[in-house]
Amino acid sequence: MTPDTVLEVRSLSVAYRQGAGWSRAVDDVSFALKKGEVFGLVGESGCGKSTVSLQLLGYRHPSLRAEGGAVLFKDQNLLKLARPELDKLRGEKIAFVPQNPTTALNPGIRIGRQVAETMVAHGRAKDLGGADAVVGKYLKLVGLPVDPAFLRRYPHQLSGGQQQRVCIAMALCCDPDLLVLDEPTTGLDVTTQEQIVSLLIALRARIGLAMLYVTHDLALLSQIADRIGVMYAGKMVEVAETEVIFNAPKHPYTRGLIGSIPRIDFDSAERERPLRGLLRRQELPPGCPFSPRCDFALERCFTEPQKAEPTGPESSVACWRWREIVPLPPEPIVIPPLPEAKGELPLLTVDKLDIHYGSAGKVFRAVNDVSFAIRQGEVFALVGESGSGKSTIARAISGLVPPAAGTVTLEGKALAPRVNRRSAAQRRLIQYIFQNPDASLNPRARVGETIARPLHYFFRLDRSKAAERVAAALADVQLDGSYAARFPDQLSGGERQRVAIARALAAEPALLLCDEILSALDVSVQANILKLLQALKAEHAIAMLFISHDLAVVRMLADHVCVLYGGEVMEIGPVDRIFAAPFHPYTHTLLQAVPVPLQPPPASDGLNAGEPQRGGQGCVFAGRCPWQIGDICETTRPPWRAGEGGLRLRCHHTIEALNELADWPPLTETSRATRTRHENRVD
Amino acid sequence: MVAIDRAPAKPRRRYRNLWRQTPQSFRIGLIILLLHLILAVTGPFWAPYGFSQMGTGIPLSGMTWKHPFGVDQLGRDVFSRVVHGAHIVILLSLSGTALGLVVGAILGLLSGYIGGWFDNALQRLLEALISIPFLVLALIAIASAGPQLSGNPILVVAVVALVYAPRIARMARAAAIDIATRDYVTMARLRGESAWSVMRRELLPNATSVLLVEFALRAGYAPVLIGSLGFLGFGLRPPTPEWGLMISENRALIIITPITVLGPGLALASLVVGLNLFTEGLARILGRTVRLGNQ
Repeated sequence: MTPDTVLEVRSLSVAYRQGAGWSRAVDDVSFALKKGEVFGLVGESGCGKSTVSLQLLGYRHPSLRAEGGAVLFKDQNLLKLARPELDKLRGEKIAFVPQNPTTALNPGIRIGRQVAETMVAHGRAKDLGGADAVVGKYLKLVGLPVDPAFLRRYPHQLSGGQQQRVCIAMALCCDPDLLVLDEPTTGLDVTTQEQIVSLLIALRARIGLAMLYVTHDLALLSQIADRIGVMYAGKMVEVAETEVIFNAPKHPYTRGLIGSIPRIDFDSAERERPLRGLLRRQELPPGCPFSPRCDFALERCFTEPQKAEPTGPESSVACWRWREIVPLPPEPIVIPPLPEAKGELPLLTVDKLDIHYGSAGKVFRAVNDVSFAIRQGEVFALVGESGSGKSTIARAISGLVPPAAGTVTLEGKALAPRVNRRSAAQRRLIQYIFQNPDASLNPRARVGETIARPLHYFFRLDRSKAAERVAAALADVQLDGSYAARFPDQLSGGERQRVAIARALAAEPALLLCDEILSALDVSVQANILKLLQALKAEHAIAMLFISHDLAVVRMLADHVCVLYGGEVMEIGPVDRIFAAPFHPYTHTLLQAVPVPLQPPPASDGLNAGEPQRGGQGCVFAGRCPWQIGDICETTRPPWRAGEGGLRLRCHHTIEALNELADWPPLTETSRATRTRHENRVD
Repeated sequence: MVAIDRAPAKPRRRYRNLWRQTPQSFRIGLIILLLHLILAVTGPFWAPYGFSQMGTGIPLSGMTWKHPFGVDQLGRDVFSRVVHGAHIVILLSLSGTALGLVVGAILGLLSGYIGGWFDNALQRLLEALISIPFLVLALIAIASAGPQLSGNPILVVAVVALVYAPRIARMARAAAIDIATRDYVTMARLRGESAWSVMRRELLPNATSVLLVEFALRAGYAPVLIGSLGFLGFGLRPPTPEWGLMISENRALIIITPITVLGPGLALASLVVGLNLFTEGLARILGRTVRLGNQ
């Protein structure tokens, strides 16, 4: 242990109780954290990254046991430490920021008091009342207002981003040496995520504390981490400096992981080949756990366990072939041509849609004056932050939520507001795919029954005919026919989402409503489903209303994009016009917030958060807009402006002015290698 | 994750492992229930006397080796009558509870899924039924059925169902409200499925564990209800060897020969205890795994 090492993990192995036995979740993981260093831990779900992060706090549980190794913090082994001594360390020297601030904060305690509790527990303040002044100091540090009224708020009165800031303040309030962050921004909007990351970078420069940052998002890590450890199936497969991981990844899994990131900057030519297959924990070979999915695997890989080999002073890789493997040529990306518009009539039109929630007394305007049209076979994307009304629009189209005003027209005929008033044919033509495949499949029905139900219902098929069509639908989503006999809990998340897509396809729809269907999935699974959707788009010519907050995915898949904010359309047009100047200020804000690998995050104080100005006289984006002109934005509704190629946006700025203001995409030539690290460095 | 290899267990050993994993209350309850079932099925073949055979011994002679539960005032052997009557209680309580389960589950699931005024009206009605003490409710039902039906076993079954259906319906409704928020139910609604079809395909399969526990719990108290009806004289007619009826017949002479009341009472109590232990164990098993076996 060198003097500037804060914490060292030595060949840590952790197992979880499973039935009568124990199964290893973490196997022989070693790494060290230096003072002021940010170490990123990345991997797909179930790879053991969260388990490792909890061991850094000496976490204990009856169904979890450390089977070997040590976690050394200042020459103390946290795994062996007695409980009272551990309690003294945790919270004071090592602090934790959880994934979901909504469940991490106690909803019944005012936030000022919650922060003070930690300080009292560690003797930093005498009593809860006296801590207020000190609490204010830490809230200011994380960019929250310090007035006493704010301290007296309850967690539900704060936004998600503010809640996470409170969690960070709680972690920082005893001036710890090490901060463990477990997916701190995963549940947040992209713009909020950007603010939290900027905050963490600023904090690090000011305080210089070491951080362990656990996430599945490699692009995000490239902005904040100095070194990155890549985990797969409980093993550390590669540790290296951030720029090395991105520019010269050594382990085949790291290569695949980088290749799977949907890139918004669109340099598809130099893309690595994305990962194939799935992690099957039950069928791991005795050798390298990644060998079944590895493009470079030889006989020896399957039988011989891989040891971490040093590749530099602070980096290692667990692959015996790392010297010889070269990048494979990227798979050509087929961009299917847009099918010729069949007829002049659009498939679906939404005209002046208003949707309100709540009763007459207190109306919440979820969607206000939204109009668009979807042509046959095109992918129409709705993007925006949570609360922008994108799912609500899909629910109105499907007939689950009746609109307050406006009409939805399918193939020239107006649709009834409620689904039970629509004809069977209309119901069949619009199929919904939900975000979370765990909840959208009946856990007690076999996959075959689930897919056969629309066939029985809409086409009155008999058993054998339906079975044939089920097999065909499964083949469409690249699943084997044997899946028909399985129950949903025997499938992985990605397979479940494929089944949900197959069920929708079985009804032979004209329009698929895809409501955030990728956001619950791992990045490699996302890449596979994305490919599947591209293939379906080319083969079946089904139109899709694709709802997503992930702009990179939208850019890869969509033909037309509609950007929503606060329930109103900000900008609408063909995809290549949306992702090029002129930008609507809100679109620009969104694009700037998306982390791009090895690009520094935009300089921001992380404080321009605000609520949409619903139902006011002016623009809904006023108050949060970076390019606001002045009072006119608050008082007058902005006019529609037409750009080239059918782009339309709503802003007081002229198209020419917006063209000049645009600062995107980021210039790639200045982005190479070490820029982020130098910028983020403590000195 | 690295799974630790375990050799696949042989079927015999697997069943033994499965048995060991069950809660103790489940095992004890199951044994008591099996004893009762064996008694009910085989009893009539080996009982020393017939259930209405008189003159088997000296009336009210108390507990002897020949008459373990004594002899009643008509000279009938109480033990033989208990043995002969074993199947009656089990049959009536199971079929009564089953009828209540079917009616209650259908009403509850539909009410929870449809909601609105249908749910409101039905719930008020069921609450009114629940608010009446169950014995009073049973007596009202029997009285309104008229004298020609009194003593009919079908009436007893119907009364048990009437008492239990509202209580089961409330549980089923709670489960349905929870399940109805899942996306697969929304999918079915978007498809345009009828409420009946949604209930049968989506709600019922996912409510089985709740309903199964509810069934076992209610079945555990049904013998008490049937016994109480018999005791009050509203159940089956003499000389049927129904346990509650027997307790009622012998209660006047409880001071002279307590064993003639205690015998059928113990039989009834052990059945209820067995059923309750079984239910408690079942609830714990179902709480642990949703789908039994088949994994």
